[in-house]
Amino acid sequence: MINKIKASKSEKIILWFLIILGLFTLTSLIILKNKCLFVKKHEPNNIKFDNPENIAILNASCGNVIIELYPDISPKAVARFKTLARSGAYDDAAFHRVIENKLIQAGDLQFGKRENLDYGKVGTGKSGLGLIESEIDGDFKYERGSIGLARTFQMNTEDSQFFIIFQDEPLFEGEYTPIGKVLFGLEVLEKVKFMPKFHIVPRPDFINSLKLLN
Amino acid sequence: MIFFRPILFFFILIAPLKANTIYNLIKIPNLEIYETNTENKLRYLYAAKPFKLGADVKKNIQCFDSNKETLDIKYKIINENLNRYSSDFLKKIGLKYIVLCEDLSIAEINTAGIPNNITRTLILDIKFNEAYFERAIHHEVFHIIKDTYKDFFDDADWKNFNKKKFEYSECSTCNNKWNLSTYNKTKGFLTEYSKSTASEDMAEVFSHLMFYQNKIYNDDPIIKRKILFIKKNILKIDNTFNF
Repeated sequence: MINKIKASKSEKIILWFLIILGLFTLTSLIILKNKCLFVKKHEPNNIKFDNPENIAILNASCGNVIIELYPDISPKAVARFKTLARSGAYDDAAFHRVIENKLIQAGDLQFGKRENLDYGKVGTGKSGLGLIESEIDGDFKYERGSIGLARTFQMNTEDSQFFIIFQDEPLFEGEYTPIGKVLFGLEVLEKVKFMPKFHIVPRPDFINSLKLLN
Repeated sequence: MIFFRPILFFFILIAPLKANTIYNLIKIPNLEIYETNTENKLRYLYAAKPFKLGADVKKNIQCFDSNKETLDIKYKIINENLNRYSSDFLKKIGLKYIVLCEDLSIAEINTAGIPNNITRTLILDIKFNEAYFERAIHHEVFHIIKDTYKDFFDDADWKNFNKKKFEYSECSTCNNKWNLSTYNKTKGFLTEYSKSTASEDMAEVFSHLMFYQNKIYNDDPIIKRKILFIKKNILKIDNTFNF
């Protein structure tokens, strides 16, 4: 006959400790693996917009970024952005330039797409639609969440690349063509992969899709 | 090409990040904002630390930081002079950033200013000879104007104003002892520095026009023609411009 041996009090404590430790490790791993866990989800269909014709939805790995475009301030730049968004040109474009807490840049349609990412040239590519004139005279404050078209050192060289800023940048006013502001979901972009101390991101995150609401 | 790309990528990765907004805009390190809220939308920056610039590794342009007292005094003078240019005119010529620093030099030759119409920047030496400091501001502004409107200020056209035997020096920095004093008897040139190059000659005429506010009474026929040329072409850029 086998006697049932009861666990001592200290053995029970160790057992519970191990179970709790295991659960804690498992949970931590899930949280650490999922960078999007605490990112609020924004569903455009559940939001009422004043100007739905000027709303764009950028989908990245952690969710939707809802953007309001300002055609009154930069008509040519917004028209270009809408044209490219409508055609799906921004889908699968890399967030090729990410500076932590400062800005994120994407939209190189020539060298920055998922299928033909060229690390040597990304950031220099064009859309094929030609360059457009800078529109920098409008009244626009470059505050956190503002979106502008990128350009080379020269004015009037805007095309498809755009940037979104994570902090106020008053020096950008009168410098870069603004196209809009992020209404919801800036935190989605703050989860995009970056490399401390470097501009260009190796194996970057991509825009899943960028479409207009209407 | 297969070997070249990883090497290129490596260099991109090791290029140090300069997240500083001012550096990204005008490619000059160690600057901070002095004043951006100005009538004509010029943005004044100052050297918080010495900086070096240059197209190659030599970086032959250098300038040093200044103390606050000097900055405050010189800013007032510079601002007063540059306020004479409207924001519209400055936009047309491509001037937006004024960098204030001390002991500016290029290839170890001291200079009043270094203009760059690509970055829309004018670096000014705030410790430059006080006797000519204000005039030098306008002189440097003219270089921006000329770089932006090369067709309006053609060197060959300008040389025709001078006597046939006259030849300009090969460059303006070949000699660091050019005198900037205005001649009493001009003989076609306002200063000794005017004789260095056609470009410097034009800048000297423009700076005299601005500094003396159109009150150059000169019987010299060459100077008269040069003044007319400068005025005519500046008004082509902006017909509301006031000398």
